[in-house]
Amino acid sequence: MGTEISQLELDLEPVEHIVNQVGRKIDSVVPILQAIQQHYRYLPEAALRRVCELTEISPAQITGVSTFYEGFRHRPQGRHLLSVCHGTACHVNGSGMIQDAVEQALNLEPGADTDSDNRFTVVRAACFGCCTLSPVIRIDQETYGHLTAQDIPSTLGDFLQTASRPAFPWESGSDQQKGASRRNLNGDRKRDEIHIGLDSCCVAQGCGKVYGALADVLQATGADVKLKQVGCQTMCHQTPLVEIVPANGPATFYARVKPENARDLVLQHFRPRGVARRVGHWLSRQIDRWHSDEVDSPLQQHRLDMRQGSVCKFLGRQKHIATEHYGRLNGLDIDEYILSGGFQALRTCLTGKEPSAIIDDVRRSGLRGRGGAGFPTYRKWEMMSQQESPVKYIICNGDEGDPGAFMDRMLLESFPYRVIEGMIIAARAVGAHQGFLYIRAEYPAAVRQMSTALERCRKHGLLGERVMDTEFRLDLSIKQGAGAFVCGEETALIHSIEGGRGTPRVRPPYPVESGLWGKPTLINNVETYSLLPWIFRNGADAFAELGTESSRGTKVFALAGKVVRGGLIEVPMGVTVREIVEEIGGGVAPGRRFKAVQIGGPSGGCVPAELADTPVDYESLAAVGAIMGSGGMVVLDDTDCMVDIARFFLRFTQNESCGKCTFCRVGTKRLLDIMDRICTGKGRSGDLKQLEQLSGMVSAGSLCGLGKTAPNPVLSTLRHFREEYEAHLHGRCPAGKCQELIHYEISRDCIGCTLCAQHCPTDAIPFTPYQQHKIVDDKCIRCDTCRTVCPESAVIITSGESPTALSCLS
Amino acid sequence: MPIVTIDDKTIDVAEGTTILDAAAALGIEIPTLCYLKGYEPSTSCQVCLVKDRKRNLMLPSCATRIVDDMQIDSETEEVHTMRRTSLELLFSDHVGDCLAPCFFACPAHMDIPLMLEQIGEEQVEEAIATVKRDIALPAVLGRVCTKPCEKGCRRKGADGAVAVCELKRFVADTDLTRPEPYTPPCKPDTGKKVAIVGAGPTGLSAAFYLQQEGHHCVLFEKAPLAGGRLRTDTDPDVLPPRVLDAEIQQTLRIGAELHPNCLVENLDDLDIEFDAILLACGQLTEEQSTSWGIKSTKRGIDIDKETLQTSRNRVFAAGSCLRAKSLYVRSVADGKLAAAAMNEFLLGQPITPPVSRFSSRIGALQADEAHQLAEASGHAARSLPTPGSEYSPSQAMAQADRCFSCGCISHGSCKFERIAIQYAADPTRFAGERRAVEVIHRPGGIQFEPHKCIKCELCIQIAARGGESLGLSFVGRGFDVELGVPFDHQIEQGIARTAAACVAACPTGALVFSREHQRMVKLESGNRVNKDAIQ
Repeated sequence: MGTEISQLELDLEPVEHIVNQVGRKIDSVVPILQAIQQHYRYLPEAALRRVCELTEISPAQITGVSTFYEGFRHRPQGRHLLSVCHGTACHVNGSGMIQDAVEQALNLEPGADTDSDNRFTVVRAACFGCCTLSPVIRIDQETYGHLTAQDIPSTLGDFLQTASRPAFPWESGSDQQKGASRRNLNGDRKRDEIHIGLDSCCVAQGCGKVYGALADVLQATGADVKLKQVGCQTMCHQTPLVEIVPANGPATFYARVKPENARDLVLQHFRPRGVARRVGHWLSRQIDRWHSDEVDSPLQQHRLDMRQGSVCKFLGRQKHIATEHYGRLNGLDIDEYILSGGFQALRTCLTGKEPSAIIDDVRRSGLRGRGGAGFPTYRKWEMMSQQESPVKYIICNGDEGDPGAFMDRMLLESFPYRVIEGMIIAARAVGAHQGFLYIRAEYPAAVRQMSTALERCRKHGLLGERVMDTEFRLDLSIKQGAGAFVCGEETALIHSIEGGRGTPRVRPPYPVESGLWGKPTLINNVETYSLLPWIFRNGADAFAELGTESSRGTKVFALAGKVVRGGLIEVPMGVTVREIVEEIGGGVAPGRRFKAVQIGGPSGGCVPAELADTPVDYESLAAVGAIMGSGGMVVLDDTDCMVDIARFFLRFTQNESCGKCTFCRVGTKRLLDIMDRICTGKGRSGDLKQLEQLSGMVSAGSLCGLGKTAPNPVLSTLRHFREEYEAHLHGRCPAGKCQELIHYEISRDCIGCTLCAQHCPTDAIPFTPYQQHKIVDDKCIRCDTCRTVCPESAVIITSGESPTALSCLS
Repeated sequence: MPIVTIDDKTIDVAEGTTILDAAAALGIEIPTLCYLKGYEPSTSCQVCLVKDRKRNLMLPSCATRIVDDMQIDSETEEVHTMRRTSLELLFSDHVGDCLAPCFFACPAHMDIPLMLEQIGEEQVEEAIATVKRDIALPAVLGRVCTKPCEKGCRRKGADGAVAVCELKRFVADTDLTRPEPYTPPCKPDTGKKVAIVGAGPTGLSAAFYLQQEGHHCVLFEKAPLAGGRLRTDTDPDVLPPRVLDAEIQQTLRIGAELHPNCLVENLDDLDIEFDAILLACGQLTEEQSTSWGIKSTKRGIDIDKETLQTSRNRVFAAGSCLRAKSLYVRSVADGKLAAAAMNEFLLGQPITPPVSRFSSRIGALQADEAHQLAEASGHAARSLPTPGSEYSPSQAMAQADRCFSCGCISHGSCKFERIAIQYAADPTRFAGERRAVEVIHRPGGIQFEPHKCIKCELCIQIAARGGESLGLSFVGRGFDVELGVPFDHQIEQGIARTAAACVAACPTGALVFSREHQRMVKLESGNRVNKDAIQ
């Protein structure tokens, strides 16, 4: 009865409109659901029933699909959606405490996800790919990074105060900039420029606000400067990064710029236009001088010398192919892309090379799939080109879901044309005329950039009936995921595009034989496609010269975690883990000990510090129990618990299991049960043996890669850090991470300042001014607040009656 | 045509043949749970795994097509371990009792749920047969048993255990008051003779079952009357001698011979005359057993636990001569076990050791689960007949109806159970937190127990193919995935046309027709047959 009443109340007109727009076929189900959710903010049952009446979609299908993907809600949602990121980097930087703090700040009832005022609905997110800002939360479109538990109440307040502003102010100005760049292309006049990265993680870091401030100052001063949004500048640890590019002369970089620096920054480099403005400017400078002796110094602090050691080290070992021209191009400016050599490779492939020659070049380049498994790209293409089907499809796998990896998002946002160019080349080589970019829903900016880029390509004759005025025809469109990691598996991805639950199937037949709608289908990863233009412009041999014998070329990594200089790096294969962590990344924080690097995310493993000289190539990494994976690289130090890390990844895969096959659905759950026991001090003597045995069987027996690789983080940590597991069995977490095994205590260094008592959210610390404070263990929720506020480092974490790594510097 | 080797047998098969079919052609049976011929393999259960030695890969045989030069292992320890583990993982999330807890609680493993069902159906004659399959002296035990079965009863946690023991007594007493009490079917005389030393609960029980196997039993009892400690150690008000006598009579009626006042001093004479001897004489001194040439310990006679044989050839021992006095029902159970072992021995067969029966087990029920089941069962309160009186038949029915029928409807016909027994799977190996028990009874006799579902997808596919307008679907994903009906409809609406096919395909007891429904269908078809016969 209840549903009938709500059906009467609910206005279902929009559903008809959505169906008319999206389509009525079975494969329209995901976009329809997304549109319904966008409209109603959840999926009302009445709306779903209506969809079944209006389309070919059956009740069983819509039920199965809408409950499969994490992105769909079946209950009404609060006014704002607050997602707490639980990616790897966020996890090691305390996302658990952030989650607790959010729930506490909103006073959520146990089990509830929405606060009583219906303002916020809180969800856990797998990874936003903003790893260098960890820990991160996202409220609607706003992302907040580098948070601590204490920041949460003020962050929520800040959000509510500013919630009314438009989401992407800089996007409205894009047309004007387009005109500007056109002038530039025509060589009319070269202008001074200010570059600022507007990738989604840059925005989260505050680049959007800096952009706004700069735009305001430029408007006010009337300076003749082009404010240009560029793609990823790769140095995430320095963002917001502003580059002043004068028409003549060298560029100047400013790192970690704040909106309040905008005025100084502009005035330092550019003269205001008009006499009145100049006089005003001169006057205000004089007044500033009068007030302060060191007017220039605040700005000087932000100035970044590109010849400086740390920058050189960060960039020194890198080789930019997929990320060529990083930080220079406006991702959506097609003219600029063409001007920098874009689509030359495509022209060569369309007019100068037969498909077989293209495939042969790819073979000579030694390119292997960058999605993780490293299958030789040419072999897939060759198998594909041998299929005698009149209809073939090409798919770009942009379902990057590994927590801790964000290379593909960056490539899609910053270099959309490069990805498209690579796809067209591949399509031409294998004879496909229709293709899809499957992009995960957690990457809204990538979807926006890519849709615009595709539209512009169509207008420029780069897609459509005659690509670059040749006989070759190709159409590409976007298919969005809806929150399921398993859809990165190619057969699951195909099911998802077809409108089904994203479950994998047994292979063979491989997608190249029978893929999307039963037709031969080529699926490559974003990075793989984006390497192709370079290869065809510079020659297969130039690419093959880079890297090692078996692993040619470069690989993009997302370097994050406990490293000083996090960011997106592209290195030739074969550099060592140590070079990446210590030279490029600048090592771990002073006083900490580098312990391991987690490579390959939930399918990968840990390379311990002792094996840091392992070269980064497919085979060497596999030999030490890690995998290349898609390129997440999370650095861990002595305060990270390896058992906890293994449990984190296992929990991730267990949660992402599609539930189809026994070994993955139940096996990963039972593995997690054991890991939970170990991390909570309830481990039993036979647990490690059981872990190893069951891990082996889950690997062998699971149907797809997700289950087959799920035990890897456990196996690799058991291999390199067995003593930590054993310590846990004896009730001790050496790193001081596992909450059930640790206690907070206050040492004699306490000066009785009461800060800890004031900040403790559960009143576990009695207020005793000028005396050594004490923590009541039963009340302590291990939120770490006291330790972070203590000015004397007097709060220590003990486990098994001795101090842990978290309370002493090594 | 691709050629494949399976367990070192080679066969060439048509293009597109699956490993499962190729193996079947070679006479190799690969177990499957989620596979049904004619439907898309869902490759969910992974019980059909085989290993391709060539590629070092485990493959689901139901869905993997043969390609040339595959070298498949099916019947190897490695593959069997994978299959067994898969079954064990499935069991860790399969919440159900194949056999009711009372089955395991009763030392004699009587089929209590069946007896209760028969009482509930007013089938007392069938009920006595059920009882006597495992318990030779039900009227006696119905008075003196300490009722371990009732301690194991699931209803105990709701509103008191089912009065199993009293109901058993009701069945036995009703039987004994009939002019012609129940006589079990006896096989033709085998010509073998068994001497049983001691006519107490163990000896009488052994004689009862050995006689049914066609072996002639002679009971040697030192006392003037049979009964052993049942006669000496019990209160005659509780166990009136007439009841004991009447029940002993049932064993003698089927041919057992009783020699009262007959003290056996040595076994040599018996050895000559009899093919086998059972010692059921209660505690012996170490001296005495040594003089009989039988090894013993301080506790009692030393036997081979697998065959129940003593150190002396052809001599078996059971009951209190093995240990200090135990429950009467234990002694009666021992007698039945000894009879089974001796029967095999007498027939010249190897003696199969007593095995514990396979069963998945729920463990303790939560109070709300027990109350939910109580709601779905007979609503009478537990009541016992006042001393000296008996249940009326309608009282007995009401009491019997209180049974939750814990054992699974699919027990015996369940594919999952059958393969688990075949692969010696341990259902408790990966025990974890369990799902809630919820038995959903729906119109049309459909009984759905979601906690037993192993997510094989067959019913979903059958409903889809059968053109159901609603159908079924998986809801959620991963470990939490469940079988659901769209838009919160009920299960029978999802499978309106395909219910019978879905029930038939369910590899376990998740989707079944209720016992009542099955009885009704049987009754109707019986009526039809009768009508046909009349016409």
